[in-house]
Amino acid sequence: MQELPKAEHRSVRVTPNGKNRVVIEKDLSSEEMILNMGPQHPSTHGVLRLECKTDGEVVVEAEPYLGYLHRCFEKHAEMVDYPGIVPFVDRMDYLAAMNSEFAYCIAVEKLLDIEIPRRVEFLRVIVSELNRIASHLVAIGTYAIDLGAFTPFLFCFRDREHIMSLLEWASGARMLYNYIWIGGASYDFPKGMQKRIDEFITYFRPKALELQRLLTENEIFVKRTRGIGMMPADVAVNYGWSGPMLRGSGVEWDLRRNDPYSIYPELDFKVCVPDGRHSDIGDSLSRHLVRAYEMEESLSIIEQCLDKMPAAEEGFNPRAAIPKRIRPKAGEVYGRAENPRGELGFYIVSDGKSTKPVRCKARSSCFVNLSAMKEMSMGQLIPDLVAIIGSIDIVLGEVDR
Amino acid sequence: MMLSNYFPIPMSMSLNSWSDALSQWYLFGLPLGLVVIAAIPLVFIALYALTYGVYGERKISAFMQDRLGPMEVGKWGILQTLADILKLLQKEDIVNTNADKFLFVVGPGILFVGSFMAFAVLPFGPAFIGADLNVGLFYAIGIVALEVVGILAAGWGSNNKWALYGAIRSVAQIVSYEIPAAIAILCGAMMAGTLSMQQFNILQQGEYGFLHFFLFQNPIAWLPFIIYFIASLAETNRAPFDIPEAESELVAGYFTEYSGMKFAVIFLAEYGSMFMVSAIISVVFLGGWNSPLPNIGSFALNDWTTGPVWGAAWIILKGFFFIFLQMWLRWTLPRLRVDQLMYVCWKVLTPFAFVAFVLTAVWEIYM
Amino acid sequence: MSEYFRNIASSTSTILTGMGITLKHFFNAFKRKGEAGIEESGYFGQVDGLVTLQYPREAIPTPDNARYRLHNDIEDCIGCGQCVRACPIECITMETIKVTKADLETCGKTSGGQQKRFWIPVFDIDIAKCMTCGICVSVCPTACLTHTKVSDFTEFDREHMIYHFGNLSRIEADLMRKKAEEEKKAAPAKPAPKAKPAPKPKPAQQPNASSNNE
Repeated sequence: MQELPKAEHRSVRVTPNGKNRVVIEKDLSSEEMILNMGPQHPSTHGVLRLECKTDGEVVVEAEPYLGYLHRCFEKHAEMVDYPGIVPFVDRMDYLAAMNSEFAYCIAVEKLLDIEIPRRVEFLRVIVSELNRIASHLVAIGTYAIDLGAFTPFLFCFRDREHIMSLLEWASGARMLYNYIWIGGASYDFPKGMQKRIDEFITYFRPKALELQRLLTENEIFVKRTRGIGMMPADVAVNYGWSGPMLRGSGVEWDLRRNDPYSIYPELDFKVCVPDGRHSDIGDSLSRHLVRAYEMEESLSIIEQCLDKMPAAEEGFNPRAAIPKRIRPKAGEVYGRAENPRGELGFYIVSDGKSTKPVRCKARSSCFVNLSAMKEMSMGQLIPDLVAIIGSIDIVLGEVDR
Repeated sequence: MMLSNYFPIPMSMSLNSWSDALSQWYLFGLPLGLVVIAAIPLVFIALYALTYGVYGERKISAFMQDRLGPMEVGKWGILQTLADILKLLQKEDIVNTNADKFLFVVGPGILFVGSFMAFAVLPFGPAFIGADLNVGLFYAIGIVALEVVGILAAGWGSNNKWALYGAIRSVAQIVSYEIPAAIAILCGAMMAGTLSMQQFNILQQGEYGFLHFFLFQNPIAWLPFIIYFIASLAETNRAPFDIPEAESELVAGYFTEYSGMKFAVIFLAEYGSMFMVSAIISVVFLGGWNSPLPNIGSFALNDWTTGPVWGAAWIILKGFFFIFLQMWLRWTLPRLRVDQLMYVCWKVLTPFAFVAFVLTAVWEIYM
Repeated sequence: MSEYFRNIASSTSTILTGMGITLKHFFNAFKRKGEAGIEESGYFGQVDGLVTLQYPREAIPTPDNARYRLHNDIEDCIGCGQCVRACPIECITMETIKVTKADLETCGKTSGGQQKRFWIPVFDIDIAKCMTCGICVSVCPTACLTHTKVSDFTEFDREHMIYHFGNLSRIEADLMRKKAEEEKKAAPAKPAPKAKPAPKPKPAQQPNASSNNE
């Protein structure tokens, strides 16, 4: 980032990727102003603080400051035994608790090397895909509210409420489920659950279409997001992006496909990447579109799972494979899964003696995605900065852990 | 006319005789009549802003978003606004330590005065008009622009960066949008050949109701009508042009630091000017207090629905219709960016306003 | 130039589409979704209209397996302490006294027929700390500790969020403690009873005390 002389009549700022170009004509000498955005700002999605250097409406530089929601997850995990960590994993990414649990359980199961009943795998995939839809609904809804549209936000939350009711019926809790356990799941689906999920899918398809017509196709929305926050694929890969952010840049990378876990290899789904017709590849609109398409894909995954799911035999117990005492042999493992926000991985070290991990490191997707904030926001306007933060879809609970 | 049997005096009096008679009314040598005339629109505005403006906005937004809206205070939450006002009255009136205290206090006042002074020339009926100026329309547009000063004072005086951003955006926006708005209104003035608000209404009177309105008399009038409506959204800082107070970007824009009654005053001024622009657009293009119903044979709908009380009802209804449109847009659309806002103003609305101006002139001369 | 007009046209049409959608919702406002719970078949019966409820008067019922307020059926509790060890946030406090042989009959059995071997003068759950993860319930051998469907249990005083489930009064607890010590002295050959913490000065409340008002 080049330093600008104070009295310059004309300055052109180009970000390293060469896409964002802002020309500022200046008649008078001016100074840059430091603007503190957050941690109590309506559009920083929690307690993110951005220290912006602004030149009028133009953000010269925006530096994110983290740690306002730090809850010592990793240290805490060393004090709690393996099953007890699951509720804390829920609280990392509270919008996609099922997916977080899934990632953590995959890691520990890898360490334990245990076999999971097939029906349990289906249960896990269904609930985590439902949760993925819920999480994307929040992402799209809050993105709409960042850009000033309130009604799509409430429509999203209305539909998310149904998913939360479904998951409450399955797991007993509305948001922080503790449903996926190491080696199993806490409950089987209650009677009638599959039919209700089917009903939800038929309910949700038209609502998603309505949302698309109301928000995604709206010309103001397109104009606000298209070409904003450009991130070319190579830079995105170098930053370590994952999930919808990386796919928005046109890289076909999805852990469900590229590092398959659970029953995903048996399922037929598309890895959504923007085709460049409706958006410029790598901009905020692409990321939004990827999320919108992924909801559709998740619906089809759930439908397939409901078809293929083996019926519960008499006396089927989803907790059957859960070890009585979880004490893995000494070793280390890295387990990862596709979170709605990207790759969520857990690196766990066990000493073989204790029922508690020696080290439990979480590789948070939001944190990695947020790291490119500085580059993306360079030379943008303040409203665009808001649009960029919204498109990253951060959950500060996962960023700060 | 049937109603005139029951209300002989108001119905049969000539247009300005009511207000003229009132303005001649002196009590103990004080011009109390003038005060009453001025008070009528103000009292109406206070009632409107409290009940319809805030309550209506909350209910309309709720219904559009599949919510119930306020339901607790009174039946269907009808007294919710009253509860809000009581709350705002009790709130602490905070003035920042580092604020420019004079500007901070005077800002909401200017805003309020600017938006409410325009009501002086607003005809609420054949008789109710504060002051029938011969440059009434010009005065209304000019005085609404006074709000800019209040906004700038409020934003600068707050000593808050967000407020400053909001104020500067707001000034740029309002000053820019004055131009297409004024040109569009000028098209109306050209059709009428006058600037007096009352004359506008009289010219649009007639037994065929809405067919006498300028909007339906002239096919070109639709263009300035739409341009003025869009520009008026920007002038009153309503969505999708609400960038001065864009809460997801600028927290609350120029009134970030205001609390308690000062905040309520800003709020009231905003709803006041919302009604003001709606009333101007209905006076200029939609016949103001004239009934839109035509006389059909022996059903003299137009005659039955004309009169001082009806007149006030019509202009308020028309105003409410445009306010509903404003709210409807607000709860549908995302917000524009600053540069897009300027694009819409200078590259879309202004050229089209000029086109409309020329076309209207041609129409008026040759048709 | 053509792009200029195309932009205006597409803006107008998409804005009108959006306005149509919101207006449709506006006119659907006389319909309401109602209070059908997820377990009822009519949950997705009404897809249009208002979805919010006036909460304290109307509420969506919680499903049967919902995990909200913890409840301990102390009559069935054998005082094994599994829940205390399992709880990741240590919100359960438990104190046990070994039952003397003579008292085994008085102490009784659980509903499952298991002999209870511990008096439980203190079984406190700080429900304000509880994160309803359900791990304690899953380890309970007699299924006496359960999450109930009651989801709204706000209190004005934080002290009221500590639920006391102990089944002995303070005087009784002192008596039992004395008895247990006497028995221990009488039989020195036997290894020390497993659970016998030092008596705390904190008084144990009446069984199922005031705050446990379901």
